[in-house]
Amino acid sequence: MITRRTKAEERRAYLLLVLPAVLLYFAVVAFPMIFSLWISVSDYSGGQIFGGSTPVRFAGFSNYVRMWNDRYFWISLKNNVYIVLISVFGQIPLGFILAYALHRNMFRAKGFFQTVIYLPCVISSVIVGILWQTIFSPYGPVTEIMQFFRPGWQNTMLSNPRTAMIPVLLVMLWYYTGTYFIIFLANLQKIDKEVIEAAKIDGATEWQTLRHVILPALSGVIVTSAILAISGSLKSFDLIFAMTGGNPARRTSVLALYMYDTAFRGAPNYPRANAVSTFMMAFSFLLIIITKLVEKRFGGKEE
Amino acid sequence: MKTIPLTIEDPFRKKTYRWGRPLHEETGLVSRLFFGLILFLFAVLSIAPLVWVTLSSFKTTQEFQMNRLGLPDLWFFQNYPQAWQIGNMGTLIVNSIFYTTVSTMAVILLSMAAAFAFAKIKSKATPVLYGSFVIGILLTIQSIMVPLFLMANAVNLLDTRLGVLIPYTGLGLPIGVYLCTEYIKGIHDSIIESARIDGAGYFRILAKIVFPMAKPVISTLAILNVLTVWNEFMLINILVSREALKSLPVGIMKFSSTLSSDYGKQFAALVIGMLPLLLFYLAFRNKITEGVSAGAIKG
Amino acid sequence: MKLRKLTMWMVLLLLLVFALVPNLIAAEPITIRVLNYLDASSPGAAREITEIWQRFEEENPDILVIREDQFGEPFHHKTEAYAAAGKLPEVLYVWPGGRSATLHQKKLLKDISRLLGDERNAFIDAALEPQAGGYLAMIPIGLTASHAMYVNTALLEELGLEMPKTYEDLKAMVAPLRAAGKDCIIIGAQDDWVMQSVLYSMIFGRLVGDEKLYEFIEGKAKFTDKVFVDSLRFYEQLFIDGVINRNAMQTPYGEAPALFAAGRAPFMIDGDWRAGAFLTDESTGKALIPPEKQKKIKMTVFPAIPGEINHGTSSIVPAVGYAMSAHVPDGSPEEEAAWRLISWLNSAEVQKIRLETGAAFPTRKGVTSDKLEPLAQERAEFYGRISGTHVLDDKLPPEICIPLNIGLQEIGLGLATPLEVARNVQAAYDEWAKSNK
Repeated sequence: MITRRTKAEERRAYLLLVLPAVLLYFAVVAFPMIFSLWISVSDYSGGQIFGGSTPVRFAGFSNYVRMWNDRYFWISLKNNVYIVLISVFGQIPLGFILAYALHRNMFRAKGFFQTVIYLPCVISSVIVGILWQTIFSPYGPVTEIMQFFRPGWQNTMLSNPRTAMIPVLLVMLWYYTGTYFIIFLANLQKIDKEVIEAAKIDGATEWQTLRHVILPALSGVIVTSAILAISGSLKSFDLIFAMTGGNPARRTSVLALYMYDTAFRGAPNYPRANAVSTFMMAFSFLLIIITKLVEKRFGGKEE
Repeated sequence: MKTIPLTIEDPFRKKTYRWGRPLHEETGLVSRLFFGLILFLFAVLSIAPLVWVTLSSFKTTQEFQMNRLGLPDLWFFQNYPQAWQIGNMGTLIVNSIFYTTVSTMAVILLSMAAAFAFAKIKSKATPVLYGSFVIGILLTIQSIMVPLFLMANAVNLLDTRLGVLIPYTGLGLPIGVYLCTEYIKGIHDSIIESARIDGAGYFRILAKIVFPMAKPVISTLAILNVLTVWNEFMLINILVSREALKSLPVGIMKFSSTLSSDYGKQFAALVIGMLPLLLFYLAFRNKITEGVSAGAIKG
Repeated sequence: MKLRKLTMWMVLLLLLVFALVPNLIAAEPITIRVLNYLDASSPGAAREITEIWQRFEEENPDILVIREDQFGEPFHHKTEAYAAAGKLPEVLYVWPGGRSATLHQKKLLKDISRLLGDERNAFIDAALEPQAGGYLAMIPIGLTASHAMYVNTALLEELGLEMPKTYEDLKAMVAPLRAAGKDCIIIGAQDDWVMQSVLYSMIFGRLVGDEKLYEFIEGKAKFTDKVFVDSLRFYEQLFIDGVINRNAMQTPYGEAPALFAAGRAPFMIDGDWRAGAFLTDESTGKALIPPEKQKKIKMTVFPAIPGEINHGTSSIVPAVGYAMSAHVPDGSPEEEAAWRLISWLNSAEVQKIRLETGAAFPTRKGVTSDKLEPLAQERAEFYGRISGTHVLDDKLPPEICIPLNIGLQEIGLGLATPLEVARNVQAAYDEWAKSNK
């Protein structure tokens, strides 16, 4: 009775279940994405896109070449790589450490800390940006505290290209760690307690338990977090926009900001902006594939 | 209905439990100090901005400029009624709640349906369709702003509520479908098989078995989506022109820009915009951990 | 349980209906859509809405004005989107060039000289210059001196210093100021447009001049020419001599007035519009510099620069204004209604309000007010004392000006030499010239 009906019913159900989401997705996300790809190789130069006085034509890959030759593109890319690094090797480990400390019940006020560490994620990036801009300003509190210890100290952190990103990276570390903290905390609770107890009975130290039992069990979570971190950090925009606007001299710019500047500020160049966004997608796609490969090579013990 | 087995064991639930004994006597003083310091630093850094923005909202602009970090000399409460009135906050809050709830519910329904099919019904179309959803996670909103505006214009949805809800729902789908699919994959096939043998259709299985079991992932998705939609600004600002249809961030942005001249009202507006979300978070903070737990993020 | 479910469905249904109900607007009067630029937090915002916009609506019941207020970057997003869809509102707020250059160049705005007629005689000449499209698309609501040097004379007296007449005088003040723990000149130049707009345009005007500027734009001269590089060298010298602290490049624009008011330095360089930041805010009754102390604040221009060809100049730009979309048909009722609105926005009454709130300095002849605070009065007199050259971002296409803006920050930070910046600007020019031929 099942077998005869199943195939047709399965196909019908699949279609009905998937169709609404797929239609909406293609209309709202996929189509504009393809549109943006097309614009990136066109000669659109402002004004009406369809039915305007000058029709939009294919213009080759000149926008990609221009992007590639622009040094501010490379500065932005470099900064983006820093952000990816601080996310993957800063936010994720820190999130794990915090989660682990709370999970092992090292401190009494667990609920309080749990609430508070995730709190920054709830605050709008506009507030966060304005606050930290004030704090790191050359006449702001960081300067005043330093001048208390060393009179005459000048705050040149943001005006030195080698250190300009440091305040931004510190704020990012603080702002986004909560996300990974909460993911790890939740998943730590899922690890079978008996496995850990068994390891303890076998004489494993705290560190050995962590290294051989807990971390392998979390490898899948770590990879998913890394993927979220990579795609998230390549898209990062709001916080830097509010905090520095990419300045001084574009030294704190990132790809999303570079793209935004090209699309909407100064001399709006929509095709070139779309070339940048296409590059961003391709780049994060590449990074995620690398992450997946690393996982295949080293991790994945739990499944 | 009666034939659906109701005593299915949740494969995740049985693993989630509390650790009985506090372990702090096992950890050394040094590591406790180390962890304690980091935790304390984080706690201070998380609460300080909220205190700061609230204090600042009680300063006049002139005082804020001279005294950015201290307590206000003169508590100037007028910022709130003024910001409320100029920013038209009453209408905007209602709109924000509307956009956030409706789009979040839509994202959950559509994601769960599609994810169920991707995870549990075999089809050749799955790799392509699912893959394209996952690619959508990488999209930056700035790059599709103008295309979306042109499309909304073409189908006459510009300046309507529906014209906001459709893109909001669509943009929530990639992460929604990804999280739900990964979660539902973890539900044992045998559960669905046995329901099938008892004669239940896919829709009934989705409604009666998968949905209840997927509560954790649903609350995660809800929280992610609520946070995103509540703070979303760029898209709604270009899709909607009439004041009556705008959302809270649009009102707040009226006060904040590098050229802005009134910090007092700006901070009052920021507090007004932040408060509902903060209350939402404090009310549901336990759900968040619960939600992310139990494999919402594949583990 | 049943009841809860029922209510949930009811709520869902209601929300859906709410979403789907078509937007019914009674369309009997002539509808004019307006894209307006308004800083809702500015002290004059309340007056702007009630005394300018609401009054127009009350006095013209036959016109329905659908006004959309935008501010900052979002305003430009919206304009871009409207232009891309070919759906510009009937009346919109535009810049004379710069950010609105595309609107002018693509001729999306109406030439208003026919509508203006003899009324043009009521405006000062500088207001009637054609915009980037080569024709008159709008009348600026005000004139702006993008460079002004604010002087805290009380602080100078206290330190026993005199007003500097030449650059050498100014340079000589750096050491005593530093000894007193003060900076010399404050500029909040974290955003890249600031240095170019408030400082370098003036230097360019003094050392290079407007005539040469047109030669650059037409390609008759190169940015690598000695005269341009030398002007950048002088700008670089300001940092070397310590007249401007390199920290200026990381000082947020919004912080500068407070630093100046707190006496961190005797000078601040900024646009004339910044005078508004010190005035009394009507909604709070507070001022960054109280009126009695404002008398000690003077507005002047940068002292004489060695080798300058124009003396004592600032840089002046016609401000923003209201333009009409080109798609409004000639002689139609919409055109009449839109023009009635634009005329009101350019009227003496409106300009007087904007003078009082510090929003703009009038472009109509003979608009004055007797309700001015000392510093607003000082600002009004400031215009009588100065003459001006062009502001670069008004005349140079953005493709060329943006590299210059960034280059100026780089020089300030010591990341690039004047010659390198000049070469980059010339390269940007070459590319722009190529794609515009």
